Amino acid sequence: MKFELFTAALAATSLLAAVGTASAHGPTRQKISESVVINAAPEKVWGVVSNFQDGGWIPVVAKTEGTGGNAPGAKRTLTLKNGATVEEEVAKLEPEKMTLMYRIDKVDVAVLPVTNYSSWLVVTPEDGGAKSKVEWRGAFYRGYPNNDPPPELNDEAAINAVTGLYKAGLESLKKQIEGGS
Amino acid sequence: MDGRARPGHDGVSVGQAAIGGSSCPGLTRASRPLAATLAALLLLATSLLACPPARADEAFITSQPAETLSVVDLDTLKVVATLPVPGKPAGIAVSPDGRRAFVTSPDGKALSIVDTAARSVIRRVEVGGGPLGVAVHPSGNPAYVADWYKARIVAVDAGTGALAGEVAVGNSPSGLAVTPDGTLLVSADRDSDEISLVDTRSLTRLASIPVGSRPFGVTIDAEGRRAYTANVGSNDVTVIDLAARRVVGTVKVGQRPYAVALAGGRAFVTDQYDSTVSVFDLATLGKVETIPVGDYPEGIAASRDGALVYVACWESNTLGVIDAKTLRLVAEVPVADGPRAFGAFIRRTPPD
Repeated sequence: MKFELFTAALAATSLLAAVGTASAHGPTRQKISESVVINAAPEKVWGVVSNFQDGGWIPVVAKTEGTGGNAPGAKRTLTLKNGATVEEEVAKLEPEKMTLMYRIDKVDVAVLPVTNYSSWLVVTPEDGGAKSKVEWRGAFYRGYPNNDPPPELNDEAAINAVTGLYKAGLESLKKQIEGGS
Repeated sequence: MDGRARPGHDGVSVGQAAIGGSSCPGLTRASRPLAATLAALLLLATSLLACPPARADEAFITSQPAETLSVVDLDTLKVVATLPVPGKPAGIAVSPDGRRAFVTSPDGKALSIVDTAARSVIRRVEVGGGPLGVAVHPSGNPAYVADWYKARIVAVDAGTGALAGEVAVGNSPSGLAVTPDGTLLVSADRDSDEISLVDTRSLTRLASIPVGSRPFGVTIDAEGRRAYTANVGSNDVTVIDLAARRVVGTVKVGQRPYAVALAGGRAFVTDQYDSTVSVFDLATLGKVETIPVGDYPEGIAASRDGALVYVACWESNTLGVIDAKTLRLVAEVPVADGPRAFGAFIRRTPPD
């Protein structure tokens, strides 16, 4: 599980520069999709995942601070349990499609080994609306912009880290909602 | 349903009505040779039920994560062939005569040469580095490959696949284009914020011209007069006079512009982060329209008659069809995962 990259690497002092939005990257953007079925109505699930100012359902998140609600341009800073931060921004909100698109504006590649990261949260009805499917999709480049990346910053590392994040996040979301909280 | 369907996603018939207005694919296409049109009309007159064989132009779409090349019939708007191309294919250049397609695989460090009619890869050339942008000389030979990592352009013999030479350019060369007279090769050197002008005969770099920040796609007009770069970093398009070797204008577009297509006196620019295509007038450089399309629009190209503009949407897995007059998205064709189609992806059919 490379998911631990998102957490375990936090304690280490990073020698790598934090990555801005227009940074260099390699030629191949990666694409990830994970989903989970939750035993709750779509409106209820959408209410949780579309609340950009509360990332608490993502297990590694300790604190969410931000402005602008979930409108395009809204910002949030996630403080992770180990103290690292991730700055994110809403790119697009489509309530009629229950779709929220957002980007990472700033994260250290030692925290999450990706650059130019965008993601989508999409809720769709299952079983005629008795249940919900939540899909979490991501688009990103690996953390290392040049050819022949070191293993901790290659495509596989990026894919594994984001996949791990999505799986753990969706499981946690399911537990939180089905647990009635 | 996965919740990602869009208006027009299953609306191919809408697009057909808007494009053809005929029950038979392609009967009204102005670009069709006269003989074929007459034959088709004769067939139509003889039998309203039987359609002539489809001979529409095609789009050759690279799908990067799917590692395929999808061939889309542009009259029926259906995928008619799918070729496996390993190594995360991204760049594409179809020869002007329609007989060959050249596909770069950055992860495979290779160029694939495709026989378009046979739908097969006939040669795979190891070019090394990070091949991304690709263009082909108007004569059909050679093909030029931009090496993202090694700051060079490699010329590849289209027939034999032999490496025919190389020329050093700026950092992270990405988009390539050749003037219609074949004399000048232009590369967008992304991380040098400039374009390079290369003499194709001697394969030497004649000049570099500073443009906006992080130019990615570059397109040359049909007269070979101006080049247009999509600048990912500065969210604009730089307009360059090639003869004068100077910038004549800069046009603000949407976020993270990727590439430019030209049709009907207008530029169509894919805005990756806005999920839109920005349209501006080539004479005034004034903004005309912003057209919503799928997510992560990337490769973009006009039909040969300029009536339609096709846009590959990497996230939505669609080839969008824009009516160049009404400036609306009239159809979306589902294609394989992660279409990029970075380059000249329209194939004329039948070939000359």
